[in-house]
Amino acid sequence: MSTYQNSSTASQPYSDPTPLPANVPKVNELGVTSAPLKSAAFFLGAYCKEYNEDFMLCKQENRDPGHCLKEGRRVTRCATELITKMRENCLEQFDAHWNCLELNNQEYYPCRKPERTLNKCMFEKLGLTKAIPGSPKGQKAIHEVEKPVFTTVQR
Amino acid sequence: MLRSANPTVSLQYRQDMPPPGGFEAVKYKRNLPFRGPSGLVILGAVTAVCAYGFYRVGKGNLEKRELQREKVWSRIHLVPLLLAEGDRDAYRREVAAVEREKEIMKDVKGWEPGKSVYNNARYRSAESIVVL
Repeated sequence: MSTYQNSSTASQPYSDPTPLPANVPKVNELGVTSAPLKSAAFFLGAYCKEYNEDFMLCKQENRDPGHCLKEGRRVTRCATELITKMRENCLEQFDAHWNCLELNNQEYYPCRKPERTLNKCMFEKLGLTKAIPGSPKGQKAIHEVEKPVFTTVQR
Repeated sequence: MLRSANPTVSLQYRQDMPPPGGFEAVKYKRNLPFRGPSGLVILGAVTAVCAYGFYRVGKGNLEKRELQREKVWSRIHLVPLLLAEGDRDAYRREVAAVEREKEIMKDVKGWEPGKSVYNNARYRSAESIVVL
C-alpha cells in the first residue's frame, strides 16, 4: 500500500515508472484546462475538422485504445497548433474570454461580449468562424443575438 | 281695532323667502366617488401583462434550446482531443499491465500474457487498473 505523496514537496521529480513503449512516437499533451478548451472548442472543431473526423471514424472501426494512436497524435498536434496560433494572434481576447468563462460557471451566455471580440479577431486573423451545426435557418445564431432573453442580472 | 283703515300703512312683518342665492340643489343624485379603474380595464391590463409574459417564456424556451445546442456542440468538438489523450494513457497502462503479467508468469509454461479470457476479438477495457 503506497501513501499519498505531494509532488510539489517531493525530494525527486516525478518519473513515470511505466512510460509509453519507445516505438510509439512521443507527442506533447495539450495541457490546457477546461475553460480555454471550452473557449476554443468551436474553432477547434472548425480548424481540426478533418483530423477529428478521421480519428472518430477510426474509433468507430475499433474501440481499442491502441488502434488509433496515430490518428490521435494528429488530433493532439492539430489542437496544439491551433492553441499556439490563437495565443499568437488573439492572446488578449482569448484570455478575456476564458477568464470570463471561469468566472461564470463555464457558461457561454454571460460572456457574449468577450466572445464577440474573440470571434472577430479569430475571423480577421485566422479566418475561422464559430458555427453551431443544426441551428435553425434564417435566424441569428444564438451567439449573435443582440438582446437575448437569458442574460446575467448585471449587464 | 288693530287693522288700520289706510292700506298704505303696512305692519312690520317679514315674508319668509329663500336664502340669498337660492336654495342649494336637492341631493337626489347618487354619490359614488371614482374608485379606481374599472374591472374591464384591470382585466385587460392583466391579460396584456400575462400575454407579454408568455411571449417572453416562449422566446426563452426557444433560446434555451439553442443554448443547449451550443453547449452540446462545444463538447462534441472536444471529444476527439480528450479521447485521444485518454487513449494514449489507456494504451500505456495496458502495455505496462502486460509487462507486469509477463514478469509474474514467466515460470508458467504455455501462459500467454495479455490474452483475453473471452473468445471474441471485441475490445473490452480492463476491469481494474493499477494507479501509477
